[in-house]
Formats: sequence, C-alpha cells, structure tokens
Amino acid sequence: MIYLDNAATTKPDAECLKRAEEYLLSKYYNPSALYAEGYNLHLELKRARNNVLSLIADEYNFSLVFTSCGTEADNQAVFCGAKRGNVVTTMGEHSAIYSAVNELKQRGIEVRFAELNGDGSVNCGSLLSLVDENTSLVSVIHVNNETGAVNDICAIAKSVKSKNGRTLFHSDGVQAFGKIAFRLSKDIDLYSVSAHKIGGIKGCGALFKRKNLAIKPFIYGGGQEQGLRSGTENVFGIKCFEFASLKKYENLGNAFKNVKRLNGTMRKRLDSGLFKILSSENSSPYILSVAATGLRGETVLHEADDSGLIIGTGSACSSNASKRYSRIILACGVEKETADGVLRISFSSENTVEEVEKAAEILNSIVKNRKQIMA
Amino acid sequence: MEKVIIIRYAEIHLKGKNRGWFERVFAVNMEKSLKGIRHEIHRSSGRYLIENFNSVDTEVILERLKRVFGIHSFSVGFKVGADMDEIFTAAKDVSFDSGTFKVETHRADKKFRLNSMQISAEIGGRLLDSNKNIKVDVHNPKFIINIDLRENGTALVFNEFFKGSGGMPVGTAGKAMLLISGGIDSPVAGHMIAKRGMCVDCIHFHSYPYTNMQAKEKVIDLAKILSSYTCGTKLNIISVTHIQEEIHKKCNGDYMVTLLRRFMMRIAERIALKSGAQCLITGESIAQVASQTVEGITSSNSVVKTLPVMRPLCGFDKDEIIERSRAIGTYEKSIEPYEDCCTVFLPKHPITRPKLADVIEEENELDVEALIDEAMASLEVLNL
Repeated sequence: MIYLDNAATTKPDAECLKRAEEYLLSKYYNPSALYAEGYNLHLELKRARNNVLSLIADEYNFSLVFTSCGTEADNQAVFCGAKRGNVVTTMGEHSAIYSAVNELKQRGIEVRFAELNGDGSVNCGSLLSLVDENTSLVSVIHVNNETGAVNDICAIAKSVKSKNGRTLFHSDGVQAFGKIAFRLSKDIDLYSVSAHKIGGIKGCGALFKRKNLAIKPFIYGGGQEQGLRSGTENVFGIKCFEFASLKKYENLGNAFKNVKRLNGTMRKRLDSGLFKILSSENSSPYILSVAATGLRGETVLHEADDSGLIIGTGSACSSNASKRYSRIILACGVEKETADGVLRISFSSENTVEEVEKAAEILNSIVKNRKQIMA
Repeated sequence: MEKVIIIRYAEIHLKGKNRGWFERVFAVNMEKSLKGIRHEIHRSSGRYLIENFNSVDTEVILERLKRVFGIHSFSVGFKVGADMDEIFTAAKDVSFDSGTFKVETHRADKKFRLNSMQISAEIGGRLLDSNKNIKVDVHNPKFIINIDLRENGTALVFNEFFKGSGGMPVGTAGKAMLLISGGIDSPVAGHMIAKRGMCVDCIHFHSYPYTNMQAKEKVIDLAKILSSYTCGTKLNIISVTHIQEEIHKKCNGDYMVTLLRRFMMRIAERIALKSGAQCLITGESIAQVASQTVEGITSSNSVVKTLPVMRPLCGFDKDEIIERSRAIGTYEKSIEPYEDCCTVFLPKHPITRPKLADVIEEENELDVEALIDEAMASLEVLNL
C-alpha cells in the first residue's frame, strides 16, 4: 500500500515509540504527585517542553502549553484570545478555526473573513483592510491544509501589529511544524501544532504562547500546564512528540529537499490532460492539490484505495451542496466542476520516488478510465 | 414481595382457534427481545408476567418491551400472596407521596373472603391512615392503585399502565422485503409493516466507488435499529454501479432514476422470492420527489410480476413521516449527511411523469437480464 495522505496523519515513528515506551509501562506516575517518581516525571515534561519549544522559538519570549491535539490548541487560541469587538481570520482556515470562530459569531462577536489568492494563501490587502481598532484577534493559517499554500505569517503579524498593537496574532501551524524551516517572531502571540502530523501519536498537540500574554484557561481543573490546560498530562504522548519533533528538526532541510523532489515527480508524472494542478510552485511541497475535472474526487479516492494507493480529497461525498465542495477550494476561485474532483496528495520524507511514480500511474489510469465511462 | 412486569397483549385475544400459535410466537419474540437479561416469562390468563429479574434491569426491560409488537400495555408492580397485609405493603410501595388516588380491585379468586369493593375500601383506608398527604378522589384521581387478585393465591399490585407498541407479533403475518435507503422514509415504512406482524428483511443498493463505506455503514445502522423491532433482520446489499454506468452511456440521462428504480424493483423481487418474502415494501410517498409521482410509481411497479408492493407511507406528509421516524429512533441516523445512492449521474431535470412506453423504449437499449445477473453476483448478506 502506498500512503500519500500524510497531511491527514503520519505513520508513528517506531524508534520514537520505542524510546517513549517506558513512560507508558514503567514510568506511569502522575507528574503532579509529590513523591520522587512523580516529581522526576515532572522534570521530564519540563525538558520535553523546552526541547519542543526551542525548535522554533526562544525560551525567553515564549512558553508552551501541551494540549490534546491541534484542534484544542486552535480552540484555546480562539476562545481565550478573542474579546469583544471583532475577530479577523481567513477563508482558508482549517475547520478547527473556522467552526470555532463561527461559534464566536453565535456569542455576539463579529467575525471577518479575508479573501484568498488563487493558490489558497491569504490576500494580505484584504486581511489588513479588515483589521481595525476593535480587532481583538487575528488568526491566519501558516500552511494551508488543502493546497499547501504558505502564508508569510511573520510579515502578516508585523503588519497587523502596526495597524493595531493590541490585537493578538495566532497562527495554526499544524501543517508547517516539523516540515518547513521557520521561527516564531515577536509579533506572533499564539501558534498551534500537532504531534501526529510529524510521526508522533494522536492525542497530543501544543500551543506556543508569547510570555507575559495573559489568556484564560480553556480547560479548568488541577492547574497543570501553567494553569492554562488542566488535566493529567499525557506523558507518553508528549515524550513521543518530543522525540519525533527533535528527529524531524535534525533532518529538516534534507527531508524538505526529498519531499520537494517527490512533489516535483508527481507534478511531472500526472497526465496534464487529466489533472489540473491547484497548488502553486511556492506551496509547501508536503501537500499537492490536484483536480480531476468532471469527476468526483471521492470516486477516484475509492478506486485508488482499491488499487493500493491511499490519498485524500478536498471534502466528503455529500448531496448537500454546501458540503459537497471544499469551501477553501471554492474560496480560491476554482469553479465547481473542478472543485468536485479535488484530490489531496500529501507526502512524507519516508516516501520514495518509485512510490510516487507508481501512484501517478495508478491515478492516470483510474481517471482516464473513469472519464471514458462518464463521458 | 417480588417485583414483576405485567404484560397485556393487543389484538391476539380476537383470534379464534389459532390463538395459541399467536401467543407462542409472541412469547418467543419477548424472549428474543430480552436476550442477555436474567428473567422468566410466565403466562397467566390473557397476560404475561416477567419475573425473577434484577430490579436494576427494570428500565432496560421496559425499553426493549416497547419494541415488541403485540403488546397492548404493561405495568410494573409487585406479586404478593393473597393476604391483606401483604397487599397493603405492596400498595404502599406503589403509592405516590402526595395527591389524590383511588383503589381498583379485580378479583378472579371468587373464594377470597372479601369482595372487590371491600378490598378496595380496606386498602384505601389503610393507605389514608399511613400517609396524611394523600386523599381519595374516585372520579379524577392523580394515581390509581390496581389490585389484581389471581386464582392461584397471589395478588398483583401496580399503579401505572404504559402503552405498548400494539400491532401483531412479528412472524405471525409472513415475511416482507424492504427496499431501504439511507433516508428517513424507508425505515418508517418497514416499521409500519412489521407492526402488522410481518418479519422484515431489507435490501439496499449502493454505487461504490461513487458512494462511500460510511453511507453503507449508515444503512447497516438503520437496519439494526429496525431489527430491534423485528426480532432481527437480514440486510441484502447489492451494487448497482454498473447498471447506472450503462444507463448513463446508453439511455437518455433524464430517465436515470426512473430506469434505475425499475432495476431495483426487479432485483428486490428476485431476492425476495429466493428468501421466501411475500411482498415488497417501499418508503414511497406520493409526489414527495420526482420519482414518486403516480407515473413514476407506475413505471417501477410494472416490472414487479408476482409480489404485491406495500407503500404504507403513500398518504403521509413529510412531517408526519419525520414524527414517526423520531418516535422509532431512526431519525438522527437518517439525517447523517451521506449519500445512499450516487448523485454523480443524476440529471438536472429528471422526468417526473414518465410514459411507460417511453421508459420501455429507453430500457430496450440495455441488456436488462445480464445487468441484473451481474448485480446479483455482488450480493452481500448481513444478519443483523
């Protein structure tokens, strides 16, 4: 089976799991406990926190809150960062932000959506025009999870702050962390990441937070995670996350080059008469969005699965017009017939050129055959 | 003092010489529905008693019994000896803390030293003495204490009647084959026919890879809910992908649904006859969608050669169907947003009043028998 849906989740790194196993089986104590065994785990978590933090931020200006997933980190940013007035975000956000800000709307906060460029990146002019003196939070996704478009969040954050210095700036970095080279700038207040997108396990994420930024907790309880995210820590998940991220950053440049080659191979090998490439050349090479115009992406997905290839689509099959097309792809200005046939191919550095070549061959043959049937 | 559930059956008492058979099927259905829960079912003159169960299981037993067709009503109460002290203790237990009440006694044991009126009066008096917050009101009481003095030296004491599902025991009226989609209507149609005593098997059509596994799972879940009323069901799953592709290729696209439904009816009849089902059930309601006009129904009905087709929802409005769907517990599952049949091939303007002759002319472009044989080969059967 060829797995090219790495933006959905990655295969857990076996070596990291092995290293973390002791935290599941023998070091099972509660890190908040007062006895030495518990206290030692508390120290281990502290080390993990610093290790993950220092990969993309400096520990003098940033702290890190472990969460149960990227979605929780996003929700914490939205619900604890937004105040009265308005919130500005983009039409290209992951559902973790999109659904959360829609809930804010229900609670009486005005939400403004910035338009996208054709590749899925945010139109910066549109975004800045929406920010005013009443904007409490701006949230811009770092790497778009459907098209791979990269937003220059440092520059955007700077522009936002120069327009309103009191506005909090958050970014969903789930598809960027451990994949593209980047460091948090002082203008970024909050940044969400997830473990299982980089070889960690599901059930673990984190929210980077600028120090001295006072936000309220999202989950109340025993006061873990500096009081911002109560609940007994997922020590095993966090240790897996730590090991996996350290490993990713050790080899970030080479992995990026490798994935860029895989992405290039796929672009070259897909029959241009059958597929339209939606991701721009500047997008993150980890995600390639293509469309089999005139077909439904999900039909191709099932046939590919039956042929030994796992890929993703823009959205699930639904007769409900509002769910049938990906709102993000439509916001890129793609017409409906093309949006219907969107496929998301996402790579990991463990994939090989041979796998990608074979995958392209499978996709070409499926789409060619299906187009004949549907003609 | 033993907690019991008293069950009264619905129409069975109207039956003549074959009443015993109806009663046996009814008892078996109750046994099946209570599978996995410790209990005993005893029959006693026109009613059944569920005894020897754990008190904590009472709610779940009641929930399951609500799904057994043939039950008119049931009550939760106590079985005690035919002794006024024991009856009083039980009556006190089922009595409310406050409000108005009356006592009604039914005395089958005519040799008991007190008659019905005397029993009611004495128990009522003792209840009044024991609780100052209750009062007698024989015309409009808040609660009624029922005392049922049996011939075997026992008495049943209970306060409330819960309505059962009514209908006839499933399995006493033959077997039907329900065409089930993932929508709201078909499970309701199946439920209505099962209520009249028919076993219901299901048939579902999918168009993988145009539809997905989640859509199929949804239908399995719906059939499972239905099976809790029908003492189990068999779900037949058939792929119609190639049939749709052939219609798309060879026929006027506007006839897609009309032609597809004719295939579905033919396949359903074939599987029904094979499995011993004696009729087909559909969830059609006149004029609800393009294919459910009387002309559309004529077109699909005309290919069914031997079996009657039951359409119990024909005269129902959508909101009436939704109400029933909520009541039987299928609504929330039905509205999950998966497609049951592919819309990739759906025409923008389907024919709403097809003329049979035109439909047959379109169909002549297809090798109907070969396509049905091919679809039959995809049959997957799940026992739910």
